[in-house]
Parts: sequence; C-alpha cells; structure tokens
Amino acid sequence: MKPALSVIVFTVLSGAGLGLLVCAALARLAGEAAGGVWRAALLACVLLGAGLVSSSLHLANPRNAWRAFARFATSWLSREAVFAVLLVPLVALWLLAIAREARALEVVAAAATIACALLVLVCTAMIYACLKTVPQWNSWHTVLGYPLYGLMSGAVLWLAVAGPEAASASAWRTGALVLLAAGLVLKLATWLRFARPSDLPVHTALNLPAGRTRLLDPGHSRGTFLTSEFVFALARTRGRLLRWCTLAAGYALPLALLLAASAGGASRAFAVPAAVCCLAGLLVERWLFFAEARHVVRLWHGATDAGDAGGSACSTTGAQRA
Amino acid sequence: MKLGLVVDLDTCVGCHACAVACKEWNAAAPVAGGAPDYAPQGETPGGVWFNRVRHFEYTADAASGHLNLSKTINVPMSCMHCEQADCVTVCPTGASYKRAEDGIVLIDPERCMGCNYCAWACPYGARELDEEAGVMRKCTLCVDRIYDEALPPAERKPACVLACPAHARHFGDFDDPGSVVSRLTAERGGGGLMDDLGYRPVNRYLPPRAPAEVDTSAQRARAPSLKARLGALVNRIVEL
Repeated sequence: MKPALSVIVFTVLSGAGLGLLVCAALARLAGEAAGGVWRAALLACVLLGAGLVSSSLHLANPRNAWRAFARFATSWLSREAVFAVLLVPLVALWLLAIAREARALEVVAAAATIACALLVLVCTAMIYACLKTVPQWNSWHTVLGYPLYGLMSGAVLWLAVAGPEAASASAWRTGALVLLAAGLVLKLATWLRFARPSDLPVHTALNLPAGRTRLLDPGHSRGTFLTSEFVFALARTRGRLLRWCTLAAGYALPLALLLAASAGGASRAFAVPAAVCCLAGLLVERWLFFAEARHVVRLWHGATDAGDAGGSACSTTGAQRA
Repeated sequence: MKLGLVVDLDTCVGCHACAVACKEWNAAAPVAGGAPDYAPQGETPGGVWFNRVRHFEYTADAASGHLNLSKTINVPMSCMHCEQADCVTVCPTGASYKRAEDGIVLIDPERCMGCNYCAWACPYGARELDEEAGVMRKCTLCVDRIYDEALPPAERKPACVLACPAHARHFGDFDDPGSVVSRLTAERGGGGLMDDLGYRPVNRYLPPRAPAEVDTSAQRARAPSLKARLGALVNRIVEL
C-alpha cells in the first residue's frame, strides 16, 4: 500500500492525543493536581486537531467530508468520525467540571471521556482490521496495535507534560514502561506472524487447475491509480533498516530513557526526549504499516509468492518504489 | 434481479475492445460514468478505466492432467457487483450503494469525499479515483444504456458486451435460470474470481475449454513408406 503521509501523521498524532487524554483523565481520577491535567488536555487537543487537519488532506473531495458520519451502522470510518466528534463535548464538560471543581460531574465526564477515546482508538484499528483485501491488517494484531500504541505514546507524553512534580509520577513511569514493553512485544509478534507473506496464486483466483501463472502484460503502459495506490515496492534492505529505526526510536530508546529517569531524579529531562523519540519512532512504524501491507490487487499486477525482492514482478506496471 | 456479466476466458482474445468501448461510452456519459483521461497524448498518459484486461501465461502442472489447458489467458476485469460488497459497507458517506432492484453497485459522486477507502476494500481493483473530479469511479454496468427504451432492445446492453468481437462477454439476469448468463454459467461451470474471499461476486468467468486432442496414434503406428525410408537413407549418406 502507498504510505500516504497525511494518514500516517493523522493516525500517529491522534493516537497519541487520545492516549494522552486517557492517561490524563485516569491520573486526575487518581487525584492528580489540575495544573498538569490542563497542560495535557491542551496538548491532546492540539494533537487531535493537527490529526484532524492532516486526515482531511488525503481526501480528494474534502467538501463532502461532513457526510462521513452517514454510515455509522456499517462503516468503521463513520464510527470513528462520530466518536471523535462526540469526544469534543465530553472533554469540554470534563474540563469545565475541573474548572468549577464539581467533583461528581468530573468523575462522570472523565469516565465518559476515557470510554469515548478508547472507542475512537478501536474504530481506527477496525478501519484497517476489517479489510479482507490486506491479510496483514485483517488480524487481531491490528485491533490490539492501534489502541496499544496510542496508549503507549500517550503515557510517555503524559510523563513529559505532567513533569516530576506530579504526585503519581513514579507510578506512571512504571505504567509507561509496561506499555512500551507490551508494544515492543506486539510489534515483534506482528512482524513474526507476517514474516512470510503469501499471495494467492493467480490460477487459484481464476479457478484453474494447479499450475504456474505468469503475468505477460498488465494491460497498461504507464502507472495507474491501482499501481500507485496498491503496488508499492519496498526494497528489502530499506525495510529492514526502517524496522530497526522503529524498534529503537519507538520502543527501546523511550524504555531506556524512562528507566534512566527511574534511576536518576530529573524526570522531565528524560521524559521529554522519550516522548519525542517515541512519536518519531511511531511515525516510522506507521509508514511501514502501510508500505509493508500487501493488498490482493497486487496479484493482478504480477505479484508472486516470491515476496517483495524489490518488486521485480511489478516493475512493468509503473509501481512506486522506495 | 441480479444483473451481471459472463466473461468467457476460453474465447477472449485479449483485444481490449471492451475496455476501449467502455471508455468511449463512459467518457461521454459523465452523469452515470465519468472516466477521464489525463494527458492522453502526453508523455505519461493516464486515466480512469472501469475495465482493464490483464494477460497471463498459464502452464498446467503435468500431474494435474490438464496440460492441454496451458495457454495465454486474457482476463478482462471490471466491477463484479458483489453480493457481499464490502466497498459499499465501508463507505462512510453513503456515496457507494448497491441497488436493491438489480444489484448494480454504484457511486453517487455528489456524496463521495474521495477517501479511497472503498478502493482499498475491493480485491478486484474495480474502483479508481477520478483525480479531476476528486471522486471514485467504477463500472456502472452501463446503467444509462440497459434501461434506455430509446435504444433497440438488442442494444440495451453494456458497451463492453456489444463491442466484444469474440462474443466472450454476455450480459443478463443471474436470478433468471433461463437467461443466457445463467445457462452459460451452468453449462460451462463458470466461477467467480477469488471466490474464497467471500465477496460473492456476481460476474462469472467461464474456464478455458480443453482443446480436443488430435489423434496421432495412427500415423505413429503405420510403418514408414518406401519413400520415407529412401529419404532417411539419403540423409544418412549426406551426414557421413
């Protein structure tokens, strides 16, 4: 799949923003002072706003974006939009309750905010996980991944925003470490699970007896919408390098920085670089999520069982290369 | 009604006439279709095609007992008007819809926001973004032809079906067991592409027929004639 920058930025930023909202609301429920919560809420709104703008950039016809709420019954994209918009009044109510020190209302609004933010994360995951056309996405790994990586980056961001003066800083550090470790394990498990991508052979797709099929001609002389959208060839060496970048920046370095923060005292000096590093790593992770996904339409453009290998099978079709 | 196409993989010669006729009809019918060209005479021509023909070389395994099926297989592909149309269910705006009366899957360009999600959900590559209008496009089964009573009945068919010089394309109602498409599918064992994925495509593809074997056993069994034996003798002398 083509790694579209707007969607990558959108999913990473809004995921982190939603995770941050959940963490801030949980911390506040546990008795955190209002100062850090305000900062976190402001940052979350900035992240979600930036994500929203970014998401609209990939629409070819954004004038009709307002219609995206129309198919709540069947479309996960519609559900994501509805819950994302529902989040706005819930967060506003929660912050109002904090400002007015209405404790009972605050608890209810915080719980609703947490539930709604988690729903948005699950909807984002299901947008990809429900596609049978992309086997790597059509899996519980995706359903678990989006919420987990969102909460993970949110927890690291919360540590950076709340600062060392936060009452529960050490507890949150432990929480962030657990989430980072869980994220690392899930990422590795996902890569292992789909280490050997298998395409359906064309003769099976055509209901022919067992045999060998080879694309002679894709039927077009230049690239098409289909080749630019679905036939993305990622060179093996580059893919491997980016995977190491993901592991290091997204998970390992933030883990090391937070562990160092647990040992030393100056939490923010470690927490801020950890948060920046984690977001940068997740941007690479998300780029790979798209670039490595193999849509079944590739089959009709000469994809074979042999794997990516620089996309030689698809070279005649004007495939994008990286 | 369950309208759809039958494509005969045995007789399709891969001439792209269906794809060209489709472009011709739909480029001029922006309401129902809309298949623009980008820089058709330029260095990098591009555009939206509702129907694309791919060409494969197929060699049957010797063990399968179908070696005589080995041939070039031309595969014209357009919207299969699936009964389980995920492109419709994933669409957030309701722009994609499947008509209850005849099963045709259509896009309302007035509602489409161009998010590409429906194209992602389609395993056949049947949907392409119109970069000029910013909306998704696809085969309409020539909905603006097939019901047009101003046309003679024989011409109330999709443009691709009318254009096919090999009669490899047929149009009709799969709900009607007596229709040409139902009969052809039953007689020839037609199947859907990638049926395993569960989209229940309506369009059927008729498999290539094994060519009748030419019996050469008589020639091989017959003793070589005097002329042939003389010829062989001359050859051997020349080769000395």
